[in-house]
Amino acid sequence: MKKISYERYIDLWGWFFSLFSIIGLGLFLFYPIIYSLYLSTFSTKGVVQEFVGIGNYIRLFKDNTFILSLKNILIILIIQVPIMLILALILAVILNDKKIKFRGLFRTAIFLPAVTSLVAYTVLFKMMFSTDGLINQALLSMHLIKEPIPWLMDPFWAKVTLIFALTWRWTGYNMIFYLAGLQNISYEIYEAAEIDGANKVVQFFKITIPMLKPIIVFTSIMSTIGTLQLFDEPINLAAGVVTGSSVGPGDSLLTPSVYIYNICFKYMPNFGYAAAISYIIVIIVAILSFIQFKLAGENE
Amino acid sequence: MKKDTKIKNLIVYIFLIIMSIVSVFPFFWMIVGMTNKSVDIIKGKLTFGNALIENFNNLFSNYEVGRIIINSFKISLTIVIGSLLISSMAAYGFEFYPSKIREKIYAILLATMMIPFAALMVPLFRLMVAFNLLDSHWGVILPMLPSVFLIFFFRQSFKLYPKEIIMAARVDGASELRIFLSIVFPSMKSTYAAAAIYSFMTSWNSYLWPLIVLQSDEQKTMTLLVSTLSSGYNPDFGVIMTTVVLATLPMIIVFFGLQKYFVQGILGSVKQ
Amino acid sequence: MKRVISIAIVSLVILSLVLVGGVYSGNVTKAATKEGKITIWAWDPNFNIAIMNEASNRYKKINPKVKFEIANMAKADVEQKLNTVLASGVKTGLPEIVLIEDYNAQKYLTSYPGAFADLTKHFNYKDFAQYKVSLMTLKGKVYGVPFDSGVVGWFYRSDYFSKAGFKANDLINITWDKFIEMGKIIKQKTGKYMVGFDPYDGGLMRIMLQSAGRWYFDKNGKVDIANNPVLKEALISYKKVVDSGIAKKVSGWNQWVASFNNGEVASVVTGVWIIGSIKAEKSQSGKWAVAPVPRLNIKGSVNASNLGGSSWYVLQNSKYRDIAIDFLKQIYAKDIDFYQKILIERGAVGTYLPAQKGKAYTASDPFFGGQKIFVHFSNWMKNIPSVNYGLYTYEADSAIMAVMPDVYSGKLSVDAALKKAEEQFKNKVGQ
Repeated sequence: MKKISYERYIDLWGWFFSLFSIIGLGLFLFYPIIYSLYLSTFSTKGVVQEFVGIGNYIRLFKDNTFILSLKNILIILIIQVPIMLILALILAVILNDKKIKFRGLFRTAIFLPAVTSLVAYTVLFKMMFSTDGLINQALLSMHLIKEPIPWLMDPFWAKVTLIFALTWRWTGYNMIFYLAGLQNISYEIYEAAEIDGANKVVQFFKITIPMLKPIIVFTSIMSTIGTLQLFDEPINLAAGVVTGSSVGPGDSLLTPSVYIYNICFKYMPNFGYAAAISYIIVIIVAILSFIQFKLAGENE
Repeated sequence: MKKDTKIKNLIVYIFLIIMSIVSVFPFFWMIVGMTNKSVDIIKGKLTFGNALIENFNNLFSNYEVGRIIINSFKISLTIVIGSLLISSMAAYGFEFYPSKIREKIYAILLATMMIPFAALMVPLFRLMVAFNLLDSHWGVILPMLPSVFLIFFFRQSFKLYPKEIIMAARVDGASELRIFLSIVFPSMKSTYAAAAIYSFMTSWNSYLWPLIVLQSDEQKTMTLLVSTLSSGYNPDFGVIMTTVVLATLPMIIVFFGLQKYFVQGILGSVKQ
Repeated sequence: MKRVISIAIVSLVILSLVLVGGVYSGNVTKAATKEGKITIWAWDPNFNIAIMNEASNRYKKINPKVKFEIANMAKADVEQKLNTVLASGVKTGLPEIVLIEDYNAQKYLTSYPGAFADLTKHFNYKDFAQYKVSLMTLKGKVYGVPFDSGVVGWFYRSDYFSKAGFKANDLINITWDKFIEMGKIIKQKTGKYMVGFDPYDGGLMRIMLQSAGRWYFDKNGKVDIANNPVLKEALISYKKVVDSGIAKKVSGWNQWVASFNNGEVASVVTGVWIIGSIKAEKSQSGKWAVAPVPRLNIKGSVNASNLGGSSWYVLQNSKYRDIAIDFLKQIYAKDIDFYQKILIERGAVGTYLPAQKGKAYTASDPFFGGQKIFVHFSNWMKNIPSVNYGLYTYEADSAIMAVMPDVYSGKLSVDAALKKAEEQFKNKVGQ
């Protein structure tokens, strides 16, 4: 028997370490992915299949409901994600300051929402934001509003509610990532800047932001992926009387994931069309991530 | 000058306090809700009531909560241990044993993080039937063991690990497995803690997949119980609140238990 | 190295194919022994689940060796599970009996041929209401056991109405326009809203459509939205209900149920199955009464309609299929006393006609002020115009609800809105 070379030996260990995950992902991720790519060339009614080639993909562009769902998450992406990330960043910078008292307590309190289950917190928010709910009662008693706000009854306010809910749940989560990153920046840099007469705002933009760039990119990509896959929150906020006809008033809470779910389970089950939508979403995420990397990568 | 900073400080503290109250309030409400009757919760009562025992009785006499909690723990802990082990091993393999093929596999893996789960459910279900894992906890656990995100997370941390140490250990004659288990593994505690929190939260909260795989009441998990309770035509919000608190408690405990390492762990993975 | 990977991949694929293939030889136990466990998937603990519990207890007296497992899930969860399991094409993991909403019956039967047991020979379908049987018939074969009727009633608080000066007779055979006028008076005199109403739910729309014998589709299943005069009238009525301020706007089932349990609204217009939820608030006993559903101000619309309702289906490949069929036969197609009990306790109006001669159907109900409500419901049920729900009721429903914000705000005329909805529907289902 030939003695294997050292490189070969090392390479085999490389396979050994990664083998379990590769087999697992091959089985539980790649097989389903390839299967659903195959499925996306069929129009299905349950198990009754009809081959349509790229027909599903062509159909997508005419489907107003799908386009509406894209618009909805685009709004969340443009409004909610920046609000949340900026808020998280500000909180992280404040809580990184050693002069602030009770830092640990504040950190924990603000992170706490991130441990709730998605279904549970959405159910709570739905109750709090009902027309007779706590939020309206509080606003009315403080005389901030004259009439109850139709939080979940109006396309505009429904999105506002969703944005509130998402921001509540995920701001602390993102803050932790920034806090971790901030520990990398030494105090001396700030001290030197202070001696040079740079105030806190200047320091924030000239030191903090550039140093945190990799983490900002990381969190924004994770948030983008999360937003595009948004499911639990809208579907639980929206459920209507008897059967729940639209997802939020005028489908204002409809996201692609919810639409995929409806196509599979609520409507005539068309798994082929649902698979096609999934692939379009993957392509969109890939493009968005690429853009974010490019935008961030120009100085590096 | 000094007065100025004082005002600034005051604004900062007010901001922090408001953010904290907003963050914690729903938890307070949850706990208050646990002690109130359904009607009072709908009316928005914010003071403690005396229905705690009644709610617990209603919950525990109608559902086998003890068994359900044990099920949830069994599934989550197995996933945490299993996926931490195989994901960190995979990340170790990808990072310390460079190979062009594996690099390509890694790139493909990262791209798959974006695929919506609903699209994969039908083929996954077929697999579970093929493996005869329907209505078993392994059917829930197995597909959740390999995690692209965790591999990515561990690999980012390993990038900071000095390669010289491994080289030195090899020269000393340590086997590859031994290097991983007794040299690299113990020095990455905080990374593992952060990954454990992430993994525990995902598995404890998982809903769609257990719903599909688990069939009988004996196998149910906490998340499924919450969904069953809140979907009735006449939901008892007192019982729902009690269940929500019970479902959230383990996550809070896990988080506080590992909090010390959490920030450090994330720090390790996002430095790059 | 490449070879190693390709061998690994190939063997992985082969392995999974072998394993997947193995499933298709699944075994179905013949129920000659009459021993076994019947699994049932259903929703609503106050209604379907409670009724199935009653039915299973009765069957255990006939056949003590049979066990039951009745899974209580959300309706959406039942549908999701059923679709996933059926679509995967495997023959395990299914219950013996599943509850399916009538609107979805044709959809499931068409989508999963061979999945549901053909029950044509097992039941005498002449004993069931005909409009219900035709819903579950595909190509001459009947696949379900008709269960509850969704006959619609106008449930109202007699105390509020008499306070506003109305007598029971004032509520008989009126139109929706009259309904709205009465609502204004109720609001003025009692301060209560007429109904709890979700502006984005299609339930009331479907009540209005069926009262005139129309649907989102014509008899051949072709879409009929843009030029449907009944639908137009229904949309106008929706807008009137919202504009007149007689409705307490709610979002979601829980708020809706709360609106009448709390006594905030004077009436509820919905299927008879809601009685369980109305009666759940025991303090309101004696304060309720029932009147026929209002009709549309259009020719052909009658004061009778249907909302929802569901039926039991047996899975062809389930393990204890034959016992399950026997169970349904012994209870749902034979036990007249059972129907009396579920009627009294749950307000379940069965569509098994012999049961309607029973005592409970003619009894007076103290919760409804001694009114013999089920005599009325039985009569209304006979007048319900039958319609073809087709395959895409929920798609059409959501396409229409999606344009409703523009209808309410006045941005779109009703005609333009219907045109837009039809367009959206066609794109949605790829027609």
